[in-house]
Amino acid sequence: MNSTAALRAATVVLGDRAILRGFDLEIHPGVTVVRGPNGSGKTTLLRALAGLVPLSHGAREAPARTLYLGQRPGLLRGVSARDNLRFLASFRGVPADGVGPALASWGIAAGTATRPVETLSAGERRRAGLARIDVERCDLVLLDEPFGDIDDAAAAQLLRTIRVLAGERRSVVIATHARFELDPGANEVVHLSPPG
Amino acid sequence: MTWHRIRLIAAREARAERGQPDGIVSAATFVATLILVESLAVGPLAASQPAVASALFWIAMAFAAILATSRSFERELEDDAIDAVLALPGGRDALYAGKAVALTALIASVAVAGGALSLLLLSLDVALPGHLAIVAVAGVLALPPVVVLFVVLALRLRSRGALVPILVLPVLVPQLVAATNGTAAAASGDATGAIAWAGLLIAFALVYSVLGLTIVATALE
Repeated sequence: MNSTAALRAATVVLGDRAILRGFDLEIHPGVTVVRGPNGSGKTTLLRALAGLVPLSHGAREAPARTLYLGQRPGLLRGVSARDNLRFLASFRGVPADGVGPALASWGIAAGTATRPVETLSAGERRRAGLARIDVERCDLVLLDEPFGDIDDAAAAQLLRTIRVLAGERRSVVIATHARFELDPGANEVVHLSPPG
Repeated sequence: MTWHRIRLIAAREARAERGQPDGIVSAATFVATLILVESLAVGPLAASQPAVASALFWIAMAFAAILATSRSFERELEDDAIDAVLALPGGRDALYAGKAVALTALIASVAVAGGALSLLLLSLDVALPGHLAIVAVAGVLALPPVVVLFVVLALRLRSRGALVPILVLPVLVPQLVAATNGTAAAASGDATGAIAWAGLLIAFALVYSVLGLTIVATALE
């Protein structure tokens, strides 16, 4: 089966500490779950796949249409959630008219979507960030602890969205401590150990 | 990198500044205060000399550019908004160029306000207003490519607030010398001198823009 993305013999050094050392991983369509204790390098692994941290050694392969959603919402303050998502859609060259419906489907009403993001609650900001999945329609979706800050309804929607993406043969990589119900449906569960 | 993407980043920056106008407000307040304090420090007679008045103005503008640019990138770091841009194909170059464009517009508006204040406060007579405008435009164009580049280079440093002025001000000395001499030449009626200094400022803007676009993608890793 062809891989969507891969890290080959990847080493990532942050400060004086090698977080990943000679790490190999192939991501295939479907769900890959990354598990491990705090400090084991889950976030670094996802950021390496997204090209957000440099590799000291090794190689990274990832599609141009890669979406990384970190532990914080990634939305610019002073700008509304709607305009943040419109900007990102336009930058990728995808239609921005899907932003309103996508935000609404994640429970962000039109009035809320036009307010500056710093006036939204943490959960609303997080849900607005998750709406990028529907807007940007990427081939590789990297989710770092995506269930933090969101309520049960949003978590259920996220689980549904992940299943839909997997059904569309897109690749989803999820770093999470919880949500063990993801494991049975996953292509692969990657366990990381803290670097020695 | 395309103009479309640069325009998108610049528009996003303008929106953010409209929503949280602390960059332009702090830069304009800083320029006004600095011009006032400096003119008091050197005395009204000395401050109204073209060379002194020009130097006061451009030193204030350099600090204002650093202030506004730093604030702009601090906003990007809150909630990791910058990651969303850096992960986009072509996002790094477009971020540099788009920020430089947006901050040029911001600094231009601060320069208009600061220039008007300087002219009024110091009762300056300008012999060649048209040439003064050309030098001012060139000076405003010369600042952001340098300042944005150094703010990007210092982005991951914890003490960047203190380091950026230390790093960027020595590099800005040639631009400050050119802008000061060009402004003084325009104020005192030296048309050839004003245009020559303006040309040098444009050259600085081009060189640092190319340098920034060349190294910023690596610097942002």
